[in-house]
Amino acid sequence: MSAALQPVRAVRRPSASRRFLSWLRSDLRAAVSLAYLLVLFSLSVFADVLAPHSPIAQSMDMLAPPDAAHWLGTDDLGRDVFSRLIHGAPMTLYASFLAVGVGTLIGLPVGIMAGYLGGWVDGLTGRIIDALLSFPSIVLAIAVTGALGIGLTNSMIAVGIVFSPGLARLIRVQTIVVKNDLYVDAARTFGMSPLRIVWRHILPNAIQPFIVQVTLLLATALLAEASLSFLGLGVQPPQPSWGQMLARSYGYMEISPEQMYAPGLAILFTALAFNALGESLRAVLDPTRRRSD
Amino acid sequence: MNRRQLLLIGSRLLQVVPVVILATVAIFGLLQLVPGDPAAVIAGEYATAERIADIRRMLGLDRPVWEQYVVWLGHAVQGDLSASLITGQPVLDEVLRRLPNTLLITVLALVLAVLIGVPLGILAATRVDRPTDRIVTTIASLGVAVPNFWLGMILVGFFALGLGWFPTTGAASLTQDPLRALSHAALPALALATGGIAEITRQLRSALIEVLSSQYVRTLHAKGLSNARILWQHGLKNVSLTLLTVVGLVFNRALGATVAIEAVFAIPGTGSLVVASATNKDFPVVQGVVFVLVLIVIGLNLMIDLLYSLLDPRVNRR
Amino acid sequence: MTAQQPLVATRDLGVHFRLSRNTVLKAVDRVSFDVLPGETFGIIGESGSGKTTLGRALVCLEAPSAGQVLHQGRDPYALSRRQLRQHRRNYQVVFQDPNAALDPRMTILRSVREPLDVAATMPRAQRDEVAMQAMERVGLSPDFAARYPHELSGGQKQRVCIARVLTLRPSVIVCDEAVAALDVSIQADILNLLADLQREFGLTYIFITHNLGVVGHISDRVAVMYLGRLVEMGETEAVLARPLHPYTDALLSAEPVALPSHMRTSQRVILSGELPSPVSPPSGCRFRTRCRFAQDLCAAKEPEWSEVEPGHWAACHFAGTLPVTSSPVHGVAEVVA
Repeated sequence: MSAALQPVRAVRRPSASRRFLSWLRSDLRAAVSLAYLLVLFSLSVFADVLAPHSPIAQSMDMLAPPDAAHWLGTDDLGRDVFSRLIHGAPMTLYASFLAVGVGTLIGLPVGIMAGYLGGWVDGLTGRIIDALLSFPSIVLAIAVTGALGIGLTNSMIAVGIVFSPGLARLIRVQTIVVKNDLYVDAARTFGMSPLRIVWRHILPNAIQPFIVQVTLLLATALLAEASLSFLGLGVQPPQPSWGQMLARSYGYMEISPEQMYAPGLAILFTALAFNALGESLRAVLDPTRRRSD
Repeated sequence: MNRRQLLLIGSRLLQVVPVVILATVAIFGLLQLVPGDPAAVIAGEYATAERIADIRRMLGLDRPVWEQYVVWLGHAVQGDLSASLITGQPVLDEVLRRLPNTLLITVLALVLAVLIGVPLGILAATRVDRPTDRIVTTIASLGVAVPNFWLGMILVGFFALGLGWFPTTGAASLTQDPLRALSHAALPALALATGGIAEITRQLRSALIEVLSSQYVRTLHAKGLSNARILWQHGLKNVSLTLLTVVGLVFNRALGATVAIEAVFAIPGTGSLVVASATNKDFPVVQGVVFVLVLIVIGLNLMIDLLYSLLDPRVNRR
Repeated sequence: MTAQQPLVATRDLGVHFRLSRNTVLKAVDRVSFDVLPGETFGIIGESGSGKTTLGRALVCLEAPSAGQVLHQGRDPYALSRRQLRQHRRNYQVVFQDPNAALDPRMTILRSVREPLDVAATMPRAQRDEVAMQAMERVGLSPDFAARYPHELSGGQKQRVCIARVLTLRPSVIVCDEAVAALDVSIQADILNLLADLQREFGLTYIFITHNLGVVGHISDRVAVMYLGRLVEMGETEAVLARPLHPYTDALLSAEPVALPSHMRTSQRVILSGELPSPVSPPSGCRFRTRCRFAQDLCAAKEPEWSEVEPGHWAACHFAGTLPVTSSPVHGVAEVVA
């Protein structure tokens, strides 16, 4: 037979864990952000153990300045601010992931379907997406929250609904790019069903920008949660949340202004961490755009 | 204006119609999201059966959904957005009374965002990877991540309570007392502008970097043109379209973000109206506010679209 | 024609694309031919001739806009979707660009196994084994199984694509410029491999190419395509030695590659002008704008597709009467000694 083999000289793909480590080494900001988020996550899981006081226990020691017992002082009901801050972490993470999860659950299938099927399905979906994107997002989230009923879970489902058209649009474009790839045609000639083509070829090849966007949206969701809880539409008292703590501290700002710094900084740092992670993922997953943002 | 441009405007106007219709469907559909019997939910826990029946009749909930929609749309087209369930006042009057306060701070925020964001974007793009650029991009990423209502609180603490330069809360009518209105609007607009400043800076920076690194700009360099001149003559012309798109986006976001800002500064605007009515389950008011804001955004997007296609001959040909 | 049932046939096949409201591109227009079991059927054309679209239509990747594709005399589009998915596994294609034809996120083994995974008629271990056998058969060592496409050379990737369709034991393989993207040194290896496989598995090939050298080397019969239409078809020997259509003649004389010496022309006719736009092809005979024999008749009337000699078809008003291949200068075309 004339089909002689060429010598094998290709390098083996490095293992997943090695690639992960080299990514962290190459991007300090992402590594720090990841570490921060891991700490936040552990705080959320072990909040009951780690917090020095109960987040809802009131005392007569009101609006106390920071001391050894209360590291960040106490609020107007004598509750330990530091403990409330720690107990706010799980609320925040829950809220962010819930909103992004709802957005993905709606946006991903709709966008893939529109992009893959094309034709009138795509036309109609495109129009609906355009219409929904002209709603000011927080206002729409508030309206949906009002309809579903006030509370953290409902308000974050509302935020997720608001996210979904943008996510659908993103994955739609990627799907259209990938569905015209030759390996999709090849799969069709093997008799693969459309659903399986989507699952096996289109989703894995189209998902990367979506993952980046979803990471960035975690920050947006976090800020939305803070806003809605600040406005009293999200987390309900006595449950602690950073946005709601800010609303409270605003009420006695002239007496103890320092209390509005900790929750605000917590929100800022967490949002920064999600954003840094998203930007870094974008650079890793999409090398063509490394420079531009 | 020539015939083709008129045709273009006509076709864009026509394209807006389905978007508006779908938006009204979504706004009307809000009521369908209410779990259980909306009338009972709206009436509250201790309502009598009569009160529930009243509300049901008032909102037309006893009729089929599509009929409710047609009736609602028919009224909305005539400017009748129904009445508040709590005050009994016509919704449109209430929304229009509060709208100027909201528009004042959002438009002011947009102006600030452009005035600050554009120079920052240019500054960063012309000094890529140098310290100035690093500082600007860091500020921009802070601007994206900072909760603007918190920034508003800090601004109040520093400039209003501390230095006493601005009033802490409230609003004034721009037509009756422009100076007082502006001094009331300054801090909220600044807090609201941060996200926009960051967005404009980032987008302008990346668009300019792309233009400045393109082949034809390199040719201009080779011809001996200075950086500043190239930027002025070629760069900005090219990125004005990017800027136009970003401005639309920033305005849309500001219109949403103003809700929390209005709460911080106790401004009687549409944002505080929508929060209060969502809390009180006063759905006609919620729908009215959303409807008016959506119309404003769609109108603005239409204007941007038209400007875009008039400025960029390539879009015309499609 | 023999009495044999053609394995693949087209009847006035048209594949049209609507480009905008009033422009339709007829990429394939009224094409009819039969491919018999066991033969290698060549389709020659320049880029833009519609040959790739024709090939895609043969394996049901493009639906006919007019006419029919027949598989063993039956219209595959008459089948239900589920039946079609089962049926089409017998009609496979090897694409021009092996790089684009492999999913970059799948290992080679997974790619080769994919057709078997779809059928799911055997247990996983057996599928792996069949896939490994197919890889071995095309000359890929087991080392390649765990690799990704980007680690392979073009020729290796094309072998993977061939192994992948082999797992299905198809009766027909459409090779769409299957060697055009490869280094010249690799092309011969892949062609030899394909020839070996044909002998071993009794495959029928439809070989789509712009390269006359490849066609002369491998095909039993050829069809020549120009702007979506067939202009000539017949036994390879006959078409290459005694072309009936001036376009075939021009292609032959432009071809520098080693044809058997008795098929080589002594003079070279160079095609003048650009390929006209397929969206608005010339009136009458489509080739007339570049034909050195063009007459008024050619613009006025479309030539018929007719069997000029037994088994040798052409669409030219003057087929068989023109002094092709050895003629002195006539008309516009240059003749180079």
